[in-house]
Amino acid sequence: MVQLSQENIDRVQKIIARYPEGRQKSALLPVLHVAQEQFGWLSVETMDYVASLLSIEPIEVYEVASFYSMYNLKPVGKYMFEVCQTGPCMLNGSDDIIAYIGAKLNIKPGQTTEDGMFTLKTVECLGACGYAPMMQLGKFYKEHLTKEKVDAIIDECRAKNN
Amino acid sequence: MKWSFLAKPEGVPRHLVVNADESEPGTFKDRYLMEFLPHLLIEGVIVSSYALGSNVSFIYIRGEYAWIVDILEQAIQEARNNGFLGKNILGSGFDCDVHVQRGAGAYICGEETALLESLEGKRGNPRIKPPFPAVKGVWDRPTVVNNVESIAAVVPIINEGAEEYAKIGVGKSTGTKLISACGNINKPGVYEIDMTISVEEFIYSDEWCGGISNGKRLKACIPGGSSVPILPTNLLLKTAKGEQRIMNYESLSDGGFQTGSMMGSGGFIVFDEDQCVVKHTYTLARFYRHESCGQCSPCREGTGWMEKLLLRLENGQGKMSDIDLLWDIQSKIEGNTICPLGDAAAWPVAAAIRHFRDEFEWHITHPEEAIIRNFGLAHYADEREAVLA
Ligand SMILES: Cc1cc2nc3c(=O)[nH]c(=O)nc-3n(C[C@H](O)[C@H](O)[C@H](O)COP(=O)(O)O)c2cc1C
Ligand code: SF4
Ligand code: FES
Repeated sequence: MVQLSQENIDRVQKIIARYPEGRQKSALLPVLHVAQEQFGWLSVETMDYVASLLSIEPIEVYEVASFYSMYNLKPVGKYMFEVCQTGPCMLNGSDDIIAYIGAKLNIKPGQTTEDGMFTLKTVECLGACGYAPMMQLGKFYKEHLTKEKVDAIIDECRAKNN
Repeated sequence: MKWSFLAKPEGVPRHLVVNADESEPGTFKDRYLMEFLPHLLIEGVIVSSYALGSNVSFIYIRGEYAWIVDILEQAIQEARNNGFLGKNILGSGFDCDVHVQRGAGAYICGEETALLESLEGKRGNPRIKPPFPAVKGVWDRPTVVNNVESIAAVVPIINEGAEEYAKIGVGKSTGTKLISACGNINKPGVYEIDMTISVEEFIYSDEWCGGISNGKRLKACIPGGSSVPILPTNLLLKTAKGEQRIMNYESLSDGGFQTGSMMGSGGFIVFDEDQCVVKHTYTLARFYRHESCGQCSPCREGTGWMEKLLLRLENGQGKMSDIDLLWDIQSKIEGNTICPLGDAAAWPVAAAIRHFRDEFEWHITHPEEAIIRNFGLAHYADEREAVLA
């Protein structure tokens, strides 16, 4: 059974309260973020559960979850490296960074390491073009990436997990 | 000015929605404002909400700026604690609340009607206008959508008076403008300019971009975000009439799309002599294909087709006729779609072919070299002294 924690249920209630009566569907994107934070990804079960929280049809949730690129519809690694590959980052060597991470972790973009620790994903412009090359890691950005910085980030993630 | 269109039917609430979706490649100025000057934005929202009669206002922020949501929410809480938000603000009888709504990764949600759909918990499919948001916006209520920078600028305009504020700048380019500069420059970042400095000064002066990185020469620049036309050095620093180009609305667009560009979103992307325009254009085509919402066939099919052709050219597998085909596709997208994303996808391709055609041809005549290195035809990288002489 999928169930949000009490703390998250409280957050959801607060979010719904922002909108007018009968417009609770407006809470869908924020609530999907809350659910993904807790479960790591959005399974059909989770989406059905979110639909019941907002009194909307499951299809309304699937439609939205599949439209927006931040929602993971499949399980992902504990740490997801979302490296920007758009023009301005490309001018500053994002291709090399993506290739370096791929070689180091022995995965291609879109794949997860066998131990479930790391996922490599290429994404489009994240609004950090002046601090390129860069990636999103969880809630934060890692900017001005170099091979050495990537090494340090990977070590840090591994250390946190020990 | 836009505010005067807001419908005010009796008994129907109105809303202000701040557009903080900022996703146009090359653009990161709103992020700077929100991250480092959140109180300025919140003050702007409060004053604007009062002027518009919005008791509940929203800041719709791109989902990836997750940590900035916390910064804004903290600033909102501080405002509430000090009586600047909530019920009966400073005894004025005006109630106002501000909420931050996170998107979830979709460039199209920066388009105002797609943003409103998203705020209603739907896919970001732009609406057909009219009705305009000012009449029928979020939850069918009259809504004003403004950019972060516009709302933040309300504060100095109110404090100093509109006349004082308009004294900054020249002609129609009054006030200041935030430029986010990136690419191959020594000092990338966000700069506030008063729209009187030249493009040359902006690129080379230590006060701004600090010149081209690694001592290289300037090849090209996209001066206003990924959608606007790219210009080679000679047309960037000087207009076709031979006048120095200035960092403002009129001058950047001088010459139209034939020989000019646009101020656009203020995303200033600089290319050094070794960069490949074909490859960069390919990444933009991929971006627009990825971000097309898919409602209109010219945009959905056209962006995918352009991406495929550009990848083929970049990999040295193209034919000369592909260049004409690309031109043809972009011209058929432009003006034939529900929202301007179609145009935004077409313009960069058109400008790249218009000004860098021989670089496209080189990829076809030199297929082996095209795949092994990021090639830029260096003859575009004119010496600035020669251009300005
Ligand atoms: C595809 C597309 C993307 C857009 N993205 C943004 C954006 O990220 N931020 C923004 O403020 N406006 C964006 N706009 C413009 C908005 O539709 C709208 O015009 C703007 O928010 C109005 O604000 P202003 O009048 O204060 O400039 C976009 C428009 C289109 C067509
Ligand atoms: S032009 Fe593209 S993004 Fe805009 S509505 Fe049509 S398909 Fe969607
Ligand atoms: S292009 Fe990578 S953050 Fe903008």
